[in-house]
Amino acid sequence: MKATSEEVQTSVKKLFEDGSIGHFIGYETGSDSLHVTPCFLKSGQAASRLVWNPLCANNLSKYLLDFKNVEGKVGIMVKGCDSRSVVELLKENQIDRDKVFIVGVPCSGIVDREKLLEVLGISPGEVVAVEDDGDAFLVTIKGGTQRVDKEKVLRGECLVCKYPTPLVYDVLLGEAVSSLPWVGDDYSLIKEQEALSSEEKALHWNREFSQCIRCYACRNICPVCTCTECIFDKKAPRWISKANDVSENLVYHLVRAFHVAGRCIDCGECERACPMNIPLRSLNKKVEKDLLELFDYTAGIDVEQQPPLTTYQLGDLDEFL
Amino acid sequence: MQDTKEVQTEFKPKILAFCCNWCAYAGADLAGVSRFQMPTDVRVIRVMCSGRVPPELIIRALANGLDGVMILGCHPGECHYSEGNYLTRRRAHVLKRLLSYIGIEPERFQLRWVSAAEGAKFSAVVKETTDKITALGPNRWVDKR
Repeated sequence: MKATSEEVQTSVKKLFEDGSIGHFIGYETGSDSLHVTPCFLKSGQAASRLVWNPLCANNLSKYLLDFKNVEGKVGIMVKGCDSRSVVELLKENQIDRDKVFIVGVPCSGIVDREKLLEVLGISPGEVVAVEDDGDAFLVTIKGGTQRVDKEKVLRGECLVCKYPTPLVYDVLLGEAVSSLPWVGDDYSLIKEQEALSSEEKALHWNREFSQCIRCYACRNICPVCTCTECIFDKKAPRWISKANDVSENLVYHLVRAFHVAGRCIDCGECERACPMNIPLRSLNKKVEKDLLELFDYTAGIDVEQQPPLTTYQLGDLDEFL
Repeated sequence: MQDTKEVQTEFKPKILAFCCNWCAYAGADLAGVSRFQMPTDVRVIRVMCSGRVPPELIIRALANGLDGVMILGCHPGECHYSEGNYLTRRRAHVLKRLLSYIGIEPERFQLRWVSAAEGAKFSAVVKETTDKITALGPNRWVDKR
């Protein structure tokens, strides 16, 4: 059985009552029923605000960094992808495992709001609720319920998700999901891009990067971007100019992709946060694919595993000729 | 994306070489002392180790208008700091693939090992890289000149 909002509420309430946690980070309904926002609780009384449904897109693990210095344990709700970013934070000693209480919820796909509205041809206010129903979502609209195939409205990263069940947790609510039926070759889109000529690639990325307004939303939301002083904020040396210029945007996006290399777990938050809809996951996914091919490394699986770019082997590929 | 350089009669590439202090820089010196002939399109920046060259420097150089960038370091196992070149080797392979993914030809970024005794190899590498990049033409990613 899948975990329900009620299940989450009762278990969080219990955790507060027996003193296991002093804070909890979860989801609550946002400005309308199509939006879900992060919810921060200090006591079990307000636990009834918590929800769990296929709209809970946010990766909450980044908020753990804000709770480093509080008394007691912090409870957090994680999906499969979020648990992998928790693993990365643990690996880098950003958080202390003893100070975190992880409530895992197996996830079978999150709705891409924009895709859903487009498929149904409706405006955001009309949706009342979205529920999971196997290989489809049940969307309750004013005046009826509609079944929408998951493959049409899932978020991009959910279409290639290999870890729907959290890898690290203290309690797991609902039954574990071992694999998702629609997941095939997770790098097929990357391989298509790679096959293009250099001119075509440059044209494509030039178009995408020229849209960037450098709001840094992708950096700010990224759960593995944890530097207290980011290279892009440095004044001396100044790595990136403020000029609105495609080659500066190129520097930003390449350096960002490289800085999360070996740590990016493809939660897709960068792309979701991007106001200009730049396909940022494509860059991250490319690096992920190379790290897998070159060094047999997948991020966010094992806390003990050494990050690939901080180590080496004598037999690595040699100089290029 | 405009090629304002086309008005020039002949394309002379700008190439940057990060040479490690202990091997490649000495190799470059030897190439000069031995009077090997080579193209003059390469600008050398001396760094203490090839492991000191982060991907930001390569990306920055390409975005600033350089047509090609090289990292020249000690052969594996001969690094003055034991393991700097091994680490840069891993990074360089990932970066090369990422650059090629967004349309920067892989030839524009080179990682080569040149020891202090290999003046001939240094001049050969410089010649080869210059030829390749001249054939490719200007770096199309730069829109400010």
